[in-house]
Amino acid sequence: MVLTLWIVFTVAFFLMRAVPGGPFQEDRKLPPEIEANIRAQFNLDAPLHEQYLTHLGRAAQLDFGSSYKLKDFTVNEVIAQGFPISASLGIFALVFAFTLGTAAGIISALRRQSWLDVSFMAMATLGIAVPNFVLASLCIVLFVFTMKLLPAAGWGSLEQIILPALCLGAPFAAYIARLTRTGMLDVLSQDFIKTAYAKGLHPRRVILRHALRGAILPVVSYLGPATAGILTGSLVLERIFALPGMGSHFIDAATQRDYTLAMGMVLVYTLLLYTMNMLVDISYALIDPRVRLD
Amino acid sequence: MQHAARRMFPYIALVLGLGAVTYAVSFGTLPPADFTWVNETEIQSVDPQKVTGVPEGRVINCLFEGLYRFHPETLEPMPALAERHTVSDDLKTYTFYLRPGLTWSDGSPLTAEDFRWSWMRFLHPENAAQYAYQLYYVKNAAKYNVGELAAGDSVEVEIDDRPPHPSGREQLFPRGTILRGTLVSITKPPEPELADGLSEEDRADALAQWKQRWSYEVEIDGSSRHFSKSDLDGNQRCRHVLFDYNHVGVRVIDERTLEVTLENPTPYFLQLMAFYPLYSVHRATIEEHGVPLWTKPENIVSSGPFQLQFRRIRDRTRMVKNPRYWNAQSVAFNVIDALAVNSNTTALNLYMNGQADWITDVPGPVIPILQDRADFNSQPMLTTYFYRLCVEKPPLDDIRVRQALNLAIDKRIICEAILRAGQVPARSLVPPGLAGYEPAEGAERNVERAKELLAQAGYPNGRGMPRITILYNTLESHRTIAERIQSEWKKHLGIDVELENQEWGVYLDRVRSLDYHIARAAWVGDYADPNTFLDMFVTGGENNETGWGDPEYDRLIALASTQSDPAERMATLHKAEEILMEELPIIPVYFYVSKNMVRPYVGGFHGNILDRHDIVHMSVDAEEKDRVLEAEGIH
Repeated sequence: MVLTLWIVFTVAFFLMRAVPGGPFQEDRKLPPEIEANIRAQFNLDAPLHEQYLTHLGRAAQLDFGSSYKLKDFTVNEVIAQGFPISASLGIFALVFAFTLGTAAGIISALRRQSWLDVSFMAMATLGIAVPNFVLASLCIVLFVFTMKLLPAAGWGSLEQIILPALCLGAPFAAYIARLTRTGMLDVLSQDFIKTAYAKGLHPRRVILRHALRGAILPVVSYLGPATAGILTGSLVLERIFALPGMGSHFIDAATQRDYTLAMGMVLVYTLLLYTMNMLVDISYALIDPRVRLD
Repeated sequence: MQHAARRMFPYIALVLGLGAVTYAVSFGTLPPADFTWVNETEIQSVDPQKVTGVPEGRVINCLFEGLYRFHPETLEPMPALAERHTVSDDLKTYTFYLRPGLTWSDGSPLTAEDFRWSWMRFLHPENAAQYAYQLYYVKNAAKYNVGELAAGDSVEVEIDDRPPHPSGREQLFPRGTILRGTLVSITKPPEPELADGLSEEDRADALAQWKQRWSYEVEIDGSSRHFSKSDLDGNQRCRHVLFDYNHVGVRVIDERTLEVTLENPTPYFLQLMAFYPLYSVHRATIEEHGVPLWTKPENIVSSGPFQLQFRRIRDRTRMVKNPRYWNAQSVAFNVIDALAVNSNTTALNLYMNGQADWITDVPGPVIPILQDRADFNSQPMLTTYFYRLCVEKPPLDDIRVRQALNLAIDKRIICEAILRAGQVPARSLVPPGLAGYEPAEGAERNVERAKELLAQAGYPNGRGMPRITILYNTLESHRTIAERIQSEWKKHLGIDVELENQEWGVYLDRVRSLDYHIARAAWVGDYADPNTFLDMFVTGGENNETGWGDPEYDRLIALASTQSDPAERMATLHKAEEILMEELPIIPVYFYVSKNMVRPYVGGFHGNILDRHDIVHMSVDAEEKDRVLEAEGIH
């Protein structure tokens, strides 16, 4: 993992500096003396490899330095403020996607070919096809302006998290529903389910205990990419709903050439994806009865 | 064991999931503010001397106060921390008299010395204030800021003995020991030879390193001493050798009297006193906590109508009333919020939904719908949209080509059909509406004349004309305007123009290095005077960026800055602008309008050409607010 982080750091560092423009470039040009003063202050006048080593050394100690553009804050402070917000949003979206998706998938599988199944799967297809920012706009028109139920944007109350979490989770709920349905149908046709029924077990027990365990496997392995998708998806939605999370910081850091903040964000995202994938691998091993735990 | 793990897993997962949800909902809710506005992007800092932006200005004008503050409608500088001032007969010396009994938000007295010290910090090269040039009107201020010295100058030497700072970061203040004397000479090692292919930045770095090895001979109290910024034999190591700040034109007469001497009469100097970079900051706090820690809500000491309560990054800056503000009884709000919302669509949603009382911008496409609403507040602004023409690149080096291009553009259509928010077609660089100044308007649209000029330049109907490109930074409206102009030039002049959009940073780079033919630009006036537009185009000016220069133009701009009679001065500037509009290194396209939306229950909001609106003048009619929101069905 250290190796991954190092590679990501190095690539990100040189890519950032290869892009034209710098953090202190303003619309109006400054007298050269003032510009030199500013560059000296942020150590931008040192040779590139020296800058690289300094920043790498600090990053190894989890110190990403001051943000270039949010001059009153260090990168660590920005992350400390932004992370819980994105985490809240992500958790809501994921829980929503998982519960709604599996529930819809199971029902569809059990009531195959019924109007319920058809409408669920139609919605799922739509959910996958519609990008989340389009969904967000539709939701805002519907819930904020037509029904006047929810606030338009911002952060600070439970009401404000509902819409963004819904929009963020929707495509994943849709995908999970399809996965669960397929998995469920697949498992339900297998011999051990027939045996379970034959032994006279209660259908609910058969489904939740035996069938779901196999059916949920593809869903669990999808949770890794889903987390990645939710992380990146929240970049757009945080902008639309004006949420002060990691996504907003990431976008602004990149467009404003805030080198230090962008680097901090890249590393946190890398770490997050890495950890989530690892967790998924572990739970995969625990759920799949075919995997032997030694 | 393994079966236990497997059996337990669903429960563990459930507990983890529930735990995560509990965590996710566990955030405190905020009490609502009395007044909320959308302040566009997140502010870079609340340190008045470190920022340049408009959003920053709105917050800093809440937290701090200058000697003067603009009248919300007329923009006339009104006494603020200063109760009055006098000007000498030669218009070069301003004496400011502070109000009695002024205090900072921590109760310590606010005196003339605070301004003297703050301006020193502002101008100090190590502070690297981008706006430092705003104070160059003050005698010797530029010398102090730039750090260039000549033998015989009075200098201050900062010895390399700064106390280690408790913040752990190296700090400019408190400074090391300061010695004052007269510069005798500077001994320089041979100047490094710079390769031709070196970038501008590398060149600057090499020169900076070279300057580190200079040795300064300074006469102090009759004896000669040597100082250098690096360890040189026989030299005492120093941090800075600067022009002596005691000889900069800022003098404290007594606690309540500040005397400022200028280089030249500057008719708009009082306006600068209402401009936030020149506000005073609290010395003791800065010396104790350092940068940036002094700006934390628990540390910051301020002088304005409000105090900082907290900052949630890219969400809101919350401020509360400062009971020690000299005019606290006239401040209408106890709690105010500045929201950081980047998208103007989201901002409009917040406004329409009653979550914001004032937004500063609305998305272009909805303007025609909003325009008829009473709460849409649109005013002409001191901002010009124009095209820079790189006069070093043929065929744009030919004045006839530049004139032809200008004559063929229908600016009225751009305003009425594309922008549609009441923008005004521009035939001058300086926008209308400045007291005493008549903008020098260039020729009106004339397609026939444009064709003639182009033919005279050797490109009849565009034949043989080298291909040119319009460069603009990526934004929908820039593209639409460029396309319109492209099609007109094609239709009327028969020339082919390419469009090229670049992301902001790249665009700036290209314009700076004159690597373009035609580039879109805009300029916002810093103060209400034509000079803020016109001095941009002196030969080699930092923001000229067209390669154009004209000795007569330079002479007029310089002359204007020494003229004390306002009418004469305006006439000189007008003459200069006439040259600019004849030579056309730029093509003005239109003048901006502000696009504020303000709820009708907000009082004290007025349109003005700087689009500057201080919260301190505003108020909210609470009953009216309840009534309006109720009527719109918002709870």
